[in-house]
Amino acid sequence: MAAATQELMPEQATYIPPAHRADWLMRIGVSIVTLVIFLAIFGPYIGPYDPTRTTIRIAVPPPGFTEMPRLFWAWIDGTLDHPPHWMGTDANGYDIFSRVIAAPRTDLKIALLANILSLIAGIFFGLVAGYWRNWSTELLIRVSDVLQSFPVFIMAMVLVALAGRSATNIIIALAFVYTPIYLRLTRAEVLSQTSRGFVEAARAMGNSELSIAMRHVLPNSLTPALIQSSVTIGFAILLTAGLSFVGAGVRPPTPEWGLMISTGANQIVLGEWWPSVFPGLAISLTVFGFAVLGNALERRYERG
Amino acid sequence: MSEGDPLLRVRDLKVGYEVRGDLIVPVEGVSFDLNSREVIGLVGDAGSGKSTTALALLGMARPPGKILGGEVYFEGRDLLKLPDAEMRAIRGRDIGIIVQNPRAALNPMLRVGRQIGFAYRAHNEVTAGEARAQAIEMLRLVGINDPERRVEAYAHELSGGMAQRALIAMALSSTPRLLIADEPTSGLDVTIQAQFLDEMWQSVQKTGSAMLMVTQELGVIANFCDRVLVLHKGRIVEDAPVHQFFAAPQHPYSQEVLRFYHERASGYPAQVTGGAGFLQTLGLTKHFPLRGSDKVVQAVDNVTISVAKGEAVGLVGESGSGKTTVGRCLMRLEHPTAGSVFLDRQDITKLSAAHMRRMRSRMQIVFQDPFDSVNPRWSVADILVEPLRVHDDGKKADRWDRAVAALKQVDLDPSLMARKPRDLGASTLQRINIARALICNPDFVVLDEPTSVLAPRARNSLIALLARLQKELGISYLFISHDLTTVRYLCQRVAVMYLGQIVEEGTVEQVFTDPQHPYSRALLSAHLMPDPTHRRVDNPLPTALEGEIPSPIDVPKGCYLASRCPDVNEVCRANPQTLIDLGQGRAVRCERVLGGENSSQMEVAQ
Repeated sequence: MAAATQELMPEQATYIPPAHRADWLMRIGVSIVTLVIFLAIFGPYIGPYDPTRTTIRIAVPPPGFTEMPRLFWAWIDGTLDHPPHWMGTDANGYDIFSRVIAAPRTDLKIALLANILSLIAGIFFGLVAGYWRNWSTELLIRVSDVLQSFPVFIMAMVLVALAGRSATNIIIALAFVYTPIYLRLTRAEVLSQTSRGFVEAARAMGNSELSIAMRHVLPNSLTPALIQSSVTIGFAILLTAGLSFVGAGVRPPTPEWGLMISTGANQIVLGEWWPSVFPGLAISLTVFGFAVLGNALERRYERG
Repeated sequence: MSEGDPLLRVRDLKVGYEVRGDLIVPVEGVSFDLNSREVIGLVGDAGSGKSTTALALLGMARPPGKILGGEVYFEGRDLLKLPDAEMRAIRGRDIGIIVQNPRAALNPMLRVGRQIGFAYRAHNEVTAGEARAQAIEMLRLVGINDPERRVEAYAHELSGGMAQRALIAMALSSTPRLLIADEPTSGLDVTIQAQFLDEMWQSVQKTGSAMLMVTQELGVIANFCDRVLVLHKGRIVEDAPVHQFFAAPQHPYSQEVLRFYHERASGYPAQVTGGAGFLQTLGLTKHFPLRGSDKVVQAVDNVTISVAKGEAVGLVGESGSGKTTVGRCLMRLEHPTAGSVFLDRQDITKLSAAHMRRMRSRMQIVFQDPFDSVNPRWSVADILVEPLRVHDDGKKADRWDRAVAALKQVDLDPSLMARKPRDLGASTLQRINIARALICNPDFVVLDEPTSVLAPRARNSLIALLARLQKELGISYLFISHDLTTVRYLCQRVAVMYLGQIVEEGTVEQVFTDPQHPYSRALLSAHLMPDPTHRRVDNPLPTALEGEIPSPIDVPKGCYLASRCPDVNEVCRANPQTLIDLGQGRAVRCERVLGGENSSQMEVAQ
């Protein structure tokens, strides 16, 4: 029994945190996520070129590593006639570096808003379905099961195809496919919290069922969904990019990673790898950052 | 090893661990001797280093702990200086250990017989078949019925008592000369605890070995130990024969531990007059339907109890007897299948939901697990103010002051108001639960085993607090417990439950001094009084109940106790027993109490 073991600890023992292996993972995750957020705010302004304007230099390859310092100093001294294209330019003449750092504004905005919407909906339905168990909430769970059994990507593609290509529709589509995840997580936690003593105590005290659900069960059931949301944001970015890649996402010339990979993909056979590889790396790093952060958060908070 | 040397000689044993460069030493210099055929009790508060000491005797320490120094001479050899291989040979063969929480100590993946066999084969050159035969023999020795069948059982198929016995069987299989038992009976029912300790004690006497028993229960010490070691802050502060320890404890810590028992020894609580039937149940029955069958679990069967105003009534019985369900029905946390519950002449089972919520300010409950019964995210202030907010009781501005007053009422410091439950210990938290239950000035409180997770010293002070509050506030209690010592101290009347029925009720004095029902007698004889003048081991063993409590799904046809009763006859095997009123609030569910003549007549009639 948990209580029995806790009694063995001296009262008000000084808290000794266990040596967290998760600590350095957490740091990596936080650094990447901070960088992405920073770029979402300032990205479009700090690049050397306007991300939505073409240049006259088409399909310029990125400079080699050995050339970079020389280029950098020449740029600082003002001996170059234009800023260097650190990641080259694509077939239309866009500066890839400027577009890679401008893209988080689109990607993160979509992922974040979709995530907030699905969190709210998922937690609400999860609480209702977990606390008031009857045939109608049972039906809700079954419907969400059916939704979850469709491949997420196909589902989002169909929704966007039906509603039309716009940022709002992508957000709604993503929110729709992610809601069942949060619903399940929250419901499971609500079920376990509902059987705990303090819920009984609240009932014995004379609280109404609504007040027990809102004041006692809900705040104690949020953790799993909130932890999951970090991972889901990462995957929502991937999904946004994926939708653009198949032509169901935002319209060009909006700087967006998936779109950039898609336009660059045609040139890969010609040996022009740079228009696709750099945005691809950016996506990987971002998804990795959010996933690692989610993992670290889970380790820190799930274990109580 | 020369004649007359002790079996175990411990000198200056030190165990410590390092936290961020600081050395913490929970065991700092323990020394004692243990002779053959001796049973020593090692007592001390939580955190005093008892379990750490017990493990260190085997040369073990839980990480990150380390044995820092000292000597442990076992039969003349210093165990701490032996090479690992020799040490392992001694562990299990010459020194056996029985740990707390028997079910967790058994491997859930292995059949019990194989586990005992493994322990045996680790030290003896035998075949698997011989080891199995030995396992069956050991299970028979520790009193398990039908050992041929039980060796095939997995841990989850055994009850707590049987799992504990399987563990002793494992520890005894190689006939160790020293047995170390770390709180071997915590979590067991009193009847099983007594049986278990009887068996341990007998096996020590039979094989001429010795035992070191770590425990916090003074009842266990008084009845089974020859000597007492008191561990306080990592040092032995008292080493005395058991009679001397109870008669004249030397160290201030020992004196404090014993004070509660000496105070309590003086008489029973005075009876309450008037206000009878303030809380009254009539034929309270609760059945839980079993999923996938039309059978029901008969948790509570036709229970009628009454609690007078300002009275404390104890409800006792083994686990599974239905006492908690009675408490939950009284609070309408369960809706009874049949019967009524009256509080102040109002049938609360018939109140509307809204009316019931208002009624709840007059009746409260304190649960068993203090950690589980408070919202972990709330501060103490939030927790205490909640009932006032729910019942919109008093002015908002006054609520903080009332919460502070409630804290003081349970002897806690108002500085705790801002703390979160995770910063607090079990006993502090249980006091906060009590303060919360009392803050709306209820008339009636159900106390559902409020002390069972507390250490004995905290338990005593909590019971004293409950007694004081009852006297000051004139509240009625229904005190649910399996700990008879606390019932005797706190309650005026007591009802004994068995398999959902009340089998005996009366004043605490009546029931404790002269139990009439065979089940009450068994329960009381298994109760270990912390008094070494009538030690259990010095007297012939009282008749114990056989077997375990029957399943509440298929209840026996006649008297529910018939399968375990020592005085069973054909009449009570066949006929259900009714609760017979003996007057003066006394009632017994056994027709034999009507007198020998009557029952013998019935036998003749049969």
